[in-house]
Amino acid sequence: MSIASMDTPVTHMPHMAVGHAAQSAAGKKEKISIRGLNFFYGENRALKDINVPLYERMVTAFIGPSGCGKSTLLRILNRIYDLYPNQHAQGEVLLDGKNILSPGLDINLLRARVGMVFQKPTPFPMTIYENIAFGIRLYETLSKSEMDGRVESSLRRAALWEEVKDKLNTSGLGLSGGQQQRLCIARSVAVKPEVILLDEPCSALDPISTAKIEELIDELKSDYTIAIVTHNMQQAARVSNFTAFMYLGELIEFDATDKIFTTPSDRRTQDYITGRFG
Amino acid sequence: MEPMEKRSVSDFALPSASSTTQPVPASLAKALSRLRVNDQVFHSITRVAAFFVLILLSAIIGSLIIGAAPALQKFGFGFLTSERWNPVTENFGAMAPIYGTIVTSIIAMLIAVPFGLLITLFLTELCPMWLRRPIGIAIELLAGIPSIIYGIWGLFVLAPFLQAHVQPFLIDLFGNIPVLKTLFAGPPYGIGILTSSLILAIMVLPFITSISRDVFEAVPPMLKEAAYGLGFTTWEVVRYVVLPYARVGVIGGIMLGLGRALGETMAVTFVIGNAHKVSSSLLAPGTTIASTIANEFTEAVGEIYTSSLIALGLLLFVITFAVLAAARYMLMQIERRQG
Amino acid sequence: MSDATASMSGLYAGRRRRNAIVLTLSFTATAIGLGILVLILGTLIVESFRGLSMKVFTEMTPPPGADGGLLNPIVGSLIMTVLGVFIGTPIGILAGTYMAEYGRYNKVTHVIRFINDILLSAPSIIIGLFVYELVVAPMGHFSGFAGSLALAVLVIPVVVRTTEDMLMLVPRELREASSALGMPKASMIGNICYRAARAGMITGILLAIARISGETAPLLFTALNNQFFSLNLNAPMASLPAVIFQFALSPYADWQRLAWVGAMIITFAVLGLSILARTFSGSRK
Repeated sequence: MSIASMDTPVTHMPHMAVGHAAQSAAGKKEKISIRGLNFFYGENRALKDINVPLYERMVTAFIGPSGCGKSTLLRILNRIYDLYPNQHAQGEVLLDGKNILSPGLDINLLRARVGMVFQKPTPFPMTIYENIAFGIRLYETLSKSEMDGRVESSLRRAALWEEVKDKLNTSGLGLSGGQQQRLCIARSVAVKPEVILLDEPCSALDPISTAKIEELIDELKSDYTIAIVTHNMQQAARVSNFTAFMYLGELIEFDATDKIFTTPSDRRTQDYITGRFG
Repeated sequence: MEPMEKRSVSDFALPSASSTTQPVPASLAKALSRLRVNDQVFHSITRVAAFFVLILLSAIIGSLIIGAAPALQKFGFGFLTSERWNPVTENFGAMAPIYGTIVTSIIAMLIAVPFGLLITLFLTELCPMWLRRPIGIAIELLAGIPSIIYGIWGLFVLAPFLQAHVQPFLIDLFGNIPVLKTLFAGPPYGIGILTSSLILAIMVLPFITSISRDVFEAVPPMLKEAAYGLGFTTWEVVRYVVLPYARVGVIGGIMLGLGRALGETMAVTFVIGNAHKVSSSLLAPGTTIASTIANEFTEAVGEIYTSSLIALGLLLFVITFAVLAAARYMLMQIERRQG
Repeated sequence: MSDATASMSGLYAGRRRRNAIVLTLSFTATAIGLGILVLILGTLIVESFRGLSMKVFTEMTPPPGADGGLLNPIVGSLIMTVLGVFIGTPIGILAGTYMAEYGRYNKVTHVIRFINDILLSAPSIIIGLFVYELVVAPMGHFSGFAGSLALAVLVIPVVVRTTEDMLMLVPRELREASSALGMPKASMIGNICYRAARAGMITGILLAIARISGETAPLLFTALNNQFFSLNLNAPMASLPAVIFQFALSPYADWQRLAWVGAMIITFAVLGLSILARTFSGSRK
């Protein structure tokens, strides 16, 4: 009667309305399990006792009004918050069963496994080819032809190859916004992660680029576990398998996307989805 | 779409490893540990460099104190009040250089500040758009001219001009007015305290203009528009809206300019006349701390002589440090306020 | 707008008058400022023209009354400037990198920044005294090397400031993107931040060069001067500013002429570098 997989024990989740998954729960492996997560900006508690799973090769969307903590939550999953003092997390975030919040963790290795694409496209100040090759070189030594092949396959994966194959040696900054974002996706994919985190990837883009990226997400999920934060509910409904609704730092409801958007269990979820607030 | 080959990254052990993982491939581990060592080395090098800056200042202060110690020990506090400067009897006093430094700087500021603010007013309110950039650049060129150029220009052009046309006029003009008579007493040397002040004023002018310009332009246009909308004249807008808003920045810029004037060496050395005397007349020759050091250091024989000159340097450093610290503190307040 | 009352128009006339006076004054002030600039540059060009010839660049400084050039001071200035920049720039860049990247949130960094700004505006003659105490006195003689060190000390604060400012401008998202790929910090700084801030940092170095090119005081008692051509860093070395100082204050006409030529060379070098720096920073992207 739980949405948790058979591998992980059911834990009591007090703040959450747990519902039945539309898909069969059996066989769903939790790639990432978040347990009892609290997050602090200085003295200020931004996330309160979060418990949520991210299933392998599924797209999980995080929705909620501004300031609810969804981006904060995402940024814990690759420990990017470590760059700033005064921000710390408590609790457990298990990646394949191992807690990534433990102090001795090799963060660079973590980030090799968990990639992130940001709201604002951030191509490096290099050529398109170099943008992709650079990340790969951190972890692997490839011959020129092998590298060419990887760059091409990453760009194909991001549906960008056809548009840039003749200008691989021009600067990444010369692309349009939507192309730059796809370049960032290609760059993340190139280092062969297992999980991809998308933090409002389309909010700075026009509708056509947005549609292309949503298509991309749909294809990528066959190989990667994906978590996406979005303030666009319709987008969440379009691309995700599971959705988590957050409000004021708490996880209010987590369930299969269909269920959340048709028959949510919690009143607050209902109000948000119908536009009563947000 | 080719199938992606899944690398077995997930098998790489996180330090809190369980037994079901394979060991990290040797090449990757080596690469990552090399990167980590690089990281630590680089971090240490940058840290050393940053602390070097701190050490540099301490070393400067330290060496000045050590060098000045013999003279300060010998003369004590009297060093500051004595006007005597006698290399033969080894009796030195800093009164004349201190007097010269302060007077030239104050007069320079009295001239440069109104001038600078007026130019800023012109540039920000009156000047047509297309002229703004060229004139702004021209004023900044004044700041870029090396000080020794000001020195020789002052010596060969300004001083003769003042001597021939301006100073006699001033002496006559104030000839009978009690206080001003002594201030502008002859003879007209051309060089002297007033000339040095004028040169300093020209050198400080671009500093004041450029810093004031930055703060003036940072005033929110809406504030000015509101004032104009009420019918304020341009001058009134500047006086009642812009200046109060930009006040701290302008003061900071003025103090930076003062700091520069106090320490200026070459321009002043050429035209101050190098007389270790405190005169009541502005037209008389004098000396400043910096020009004394510049003129006499290489000729100084004997420990006390050298040490006295270094003591002068220490004095100058203390004065400029105080002024600059106050200026930077003020400018920091603005930056903080503007977020 | 309807006419105001009589008293209003009296007031208004006064305001208008004051406004006109101030505006005229500001216009005059600007004209005077520009006039002085033209006067100085003009005098410089006219006076130096008289002494300008190929000899200036090929012959050593002459004794009074003889013919000669400015070869040794030009070469000496070049050597010491280049050496000073070579020594000072790496230290400055590394320090600025620490302040912007590793120590950004430290209190120590605030202190370093404050101290650096003081050093930036400190009178350069004090730096000369410092290097004298540190290097010349123990060594027992003046040297080009000491002169270079004095110039390096002047370069460091400029480069620290511009490096830190430029690195701080690198957008947060770019850093996060590279960290998210797993890039170690040193690699991120070297490959991403430096590359993004490159134009600004080069501008800073050019400005530092412009600054030290015109400096006289720090060289006066470190490198001293040398009337002969010398490449020996361990001996006194001639420099343009020192030679100008000596020649301009002398009573000899031909020495004074050479002083003007030297002054023009320095001015145009400095102004040229400033313009170069400006265009460079303007043409970023």
